[in-house]
Amino acid sequence: MIKKQIRKNDLNFFQRTYITEIFKGLSLTFRKIFQKKFTRQYPEEKWNPPISFRGRPVLVQEKNGTERCVACMLCARVCPALAIEIQADETFEYSKERYPKKFEINMLRCIFCGFCEEVCPEEAIVMSQEFELVFSSQDEAIFGKDKLLIPKEKLQNRLEFLRQYR
Amino acid sequence: MNVSITIDGKKIDCDFSKTVIQVAQENGTSIPHFCWHPSLSVSGNCRMCLVDVGMPKRNREGQIEVDANGNPITQFMPKLAIACSTQVADGMVVETKSDKIINAREAVMEFILINHPLDCPICDEAGECKLQDYAYKHSVGESRFEFEKVQKPKRVAIGKNVMLDNERCIMCSRCIRFCDEIVKEPSLVFSERGDNVTLTTFPGTSLDNSYSMNTIDLCPVGALTSKDFRFKARVWDMSFTDSICVGCSRGCNTTVGVRNNEILRLTPRLNENVNSYWMCDDGRLNTFEFVNKNRIKQPMIKRDGKFSECEWDEAISKTISELKRFSPSEILVIGSPFATNEDNFLLKKFAKQVLKTENICFFNHIVEGNKDELLILEDKTPNSFALKEFGFGNGNNFLQMISEKKIRAVYLLEDNIATDETIVNLLSNVDFIVTHSPNLNATTQIASVVFSSSTYAEKNGTLTNFEGRVQRIRPSVATLEHDRALDGFAMSRLDQFGAHNDRWTKGEKRDARSSWKIILNVANGFGAKWKYNTAEDVFKEICLNVKSFENMSYAKISNKGLLLKKMEMYV
Amino acid sequence: MFEVFIESVLKIIIFFTVLISSSAYLVLLERKICAYVQDRIGPNRVGFKGLLQPLADLLKLVTKEDIVPKNANKFIHHLSPIISVAIAFSTMAVIPVGDTIEIFGKEIKLQIADVNIGILYILSLTSISVYGIALSGWSSNNKYSLLGGLRSSAQMISYEISMGLAIIGVVMTAGSLELDEIVKSQAGFKWNIFLQPIGFIVFLVASFAETNRTPFDLPEAEPELVGGYHTEYSGLKFGLFFLAEYTNMIIASAIIVTLYFGGWQIPFGENFISSSVVLSITQIFSFLIKVGLMLFFFILVRWTVPRFRYDQLMNVGWKIMFPLSLLNILITGIFYFLF
Repeated sequence: MIKKQIRKNDLNFFQRTYITEIFKGLSLTFRKIFQKKFTRQYPEEKWNPPISFRGRPVLVQEKNGTERCVACMLCARVCPALAIEIQADETFEYSKERYPKKFEINMLRCIFCGFCEEVCPEEAIVMSQEFELVFSSQDEAIFGKDKLLIPKEKLQNRLEFLRQYR
Repeated sequence: MNVSITIDGKKIDCDFSKTVIQVAQENGTSIPHFCWHPSLSVSGNCRMCLVDVGMPKRNREGQIEVDANGNPITQFMPKLAIACSTQVADGMVVETKSDKIINAREAVMEFILINHPLDCPICDEAGECKLQDYAYKHSVGESRFEFEKVQKPKRVAIGKNVMLDNERCIMCSRCIRFCDEIVKEPSLVFSERGDNVTLTTFPGTSLDNSYSMNTIDLCPVGALTSKDFRFKARVWDMSFTDSICVGCSRGCNTTVGVRNNEILRLTPRLNENVNSYWMCDDGRLNTFEFVNKNRIKQPMIKRDGKFSECEWDEAISKTISELKRFSPSEILVIGSPFATNEDNFLLKKFAKQVLKTENICFFNHIVEGNKDELLILEDKTPNSFALKEFGFGNGNNFLQMISEKKIRAVYLLEDNIATDETIVNLLSNVDFIVTHSPNLNATTQIASVVFSSSTYAEKNGTLTNFEGRVQRIRPSVATLEHDRALDGFAMSRLDQFGAHNDRWTKGEKRDARSSWKIILNVANGFGAKWKYNTAEDVFKEICLNVKSFENMSYAKISNKGLLLKKMEMYV
Repeated sequence: MFEVFIESVLKIIIFFTVLISSSAYLVLLERKICAYVQDRIGPNRVGFKGLLQPLADLLKLVTKEDIVPKNANKFIHHLSPIISVAIAFSTMAVIPVGDTIEIFGKEIKLQIADVNIGILYILSLTSISVYGIALSGWSSNNKYSLLGGLRSSAQMISYEISMGLAIIGVVMTAGSLELDEIVKSQAGFKWNIFLQPIGFIVFLVASFAETNRTPFDLPEAEPELVGGYHTEYSGLKFGLFFLAEYTNMIIASAIIVTLYFGGWQIPFGENFISSSVVLSITQIFSFLIKVGLMLFFFILVRWTVPRFRYDQLMNVGWKIMFPLSLLNILITGIFYFLF
């Protein structure tokens, strides 16, 4: 429903002084003072994000310690912020031919859009629940495989959540 | 004999010996195809190029029947025909876009994809794959095939440069025909039957001919991939620049693939006059290593037998002061068949006008017997033709003078001449050697001053191949004198959007300069007042001064090359 | 003579201390009220419930680097915050916070200086206070600051007229320029707000404009002028401007209370309280409570009413407030002429 727009010319003299409106506003703000507050005392009171939350992207680590990733670079291609850099290489271990020799996400570039997770054909990169990211230099913000690999068990919830939408 | 045919309602006059797919291609209608290739024989096994072919309907007397409006009635063949092996005929009507054909193509795609694995994530072909492209353009995107796909050998090294993944093969037989028809060394064959067909080499042999890697370019899928380039980079992360192979004097046209200021691969580029679609494995693999590795990063001066890196001004002033010690006849100027026309022309001008010496020569690099019918030539330098054209003498004539100690200083352009003991011993008679070189090699070891010069992949210029065809090279790798964006380089996505703190923009930039620029600086240091801002300026002067280069320009050379006037009669 | 001097110095010290600390805590109050209006809690980390926040702010301001822009007029750049603060505090000199009080048998007036032209003193000081802002805007050598300074002077000039004219109504009712007299004339419930409603509205609006408070904070409009006149100020000098702003707010509230809400008067207070000392103290509290409520109103308005546009500001000043104040004088004059 579109409200009828009220123009200045439609008002009478008293309305034009806006005095009642100002007092209405003041009473609203005054009443607000006594209402319930929504502030969360953050560092003490942690927030548990819902499973649909997109925290920092991580790589799924299989039980044998390798990553699921096959370095297809689709995530790097789809990443709108060009945060992901991968160098593929050949492997003769395990069942896959290709693995990421280098997998780096520049967390300063990452915008947490989750496209990488969406595009991944191997369910190898998923958005975790972590949102507390602190770095003290630009170099530190580039996460390599050491920081990105997270054991599969810890990401089970997210993987199951994703499977609903396949 | 010319015939007139109609493709999608467009009347076309063409030669009767052609096939429908050729005529369509030439006239701007692209018909999807896998197995057909312009340079190979027709195989007709992929069935992708199905079109509806019809002829005007004729009555029993042989007259063309017409409808109420007087237009001839077309009688289509009951089934679709493949465009690649259907020869054109007068009055032929070809439909390439009707629903019937689209349905047929979708069916063919579905059929081909039945046993094609979902390997795209780990396949090097992804991004430049014909099957991938067509799956988007001509496929419904779904498969009704619900059984297990056929398992075939993967990761088979069928040659020293080529990897085969049999599951990905769609049996187009392009590679087989290439070996049979172009290289004329049959080495590949299909074995087994039905859906078990596999590509294999003849028992006990492997795909090892000098052109084996062309099968990688020919392969419409990722069945044949390069061992060298394997998993190095995605094609969409690279920038591509038109260039020329410097492996021999054929001057094959190439495309240089660069990522993060590093050459990752070379692929042939079509030029009917030079190399058609092909290039040899040697040129493909061995002509970019020296751009990426073993580089001289900065000018160097030898002090007490040891090289130390220095600034350009220092190296230039050192060169000038040293050269001034010798009389003109004591100085030998050696051009380089590896350098561009511009570099050599300016070197000669420098020798004649500034050093005033008549001792101007160059060394040929001929490997006897290393040649074949197709592309490979004995002369292993890309630009020796031009040096002869500019009047550089034969270097061997001056060896005598060196041994007699008549030559006391040598100005050498990018050439590794000290390849054997005798020449090294000869050159030890020379007091002062200055050389331009992109790489550390035996010659730079015996030089006194070394200028770090750009490689063919870092500069503008022209090369003249064995038959006198002048072809352009363009920079694809940036040195300190370049800025990718401002100097009009081909830019990949990463180049365009990279910032200073991105690790993928930190590819090494060397402090190298084009040889003509170094010569210009040295000459101006001697007091010459030369003004050249670009390689094109130098080329303009070549065109004015060298008769056979008359009326040429970079614009005319373009990316297909231009034959020298006097050579036109021979070709 | 010496006793008078000691008395004045003591009064100055007390007034100054109370004023400066209440300014500091007014900042906290403003932040808290702002937060509560916006469903937040506000500063609560430093000290109990954030009560030490002003100290933390002070510490921060003192330790910050003092930046003077290149090509700025350094002397004036340093001088202008001092002008602002000095004038803000000087105004307090003539405001009576209570009646005379008897301590140790000595009658002490709860007013630093009982000047017989108190109102004129206030008016003149408020006119000077524009210099602090205008000069800081000019001396910063920054276009935003300059615009802020210019806006401020234009605004002050426009509203000072209505303010002065509104006061004339009060002066007419009280028959004196002395603030003490004006307060006394409002004994009982003869508050000027009832006698001079139009004048009150004009004066209230004008004081908002004079203190650069929303909806009249155009000189420092953050979205368009990035802070206006104090864009180029940092550290303690910025702190001084901040202090001046809040002190001005207290002073403005005090003046409004004095002129229109009976100052320290408790309506009919003398009837219930017999002890004169207790009465005096109650009167002081009465004054403080009235000022506190006025301050609360100031803050509430800031978080309720959006900023004016510049043309609106000028329209309100010249086309509404100015005629209204004239009308007020006319009505008051006619009233006193007839009765």
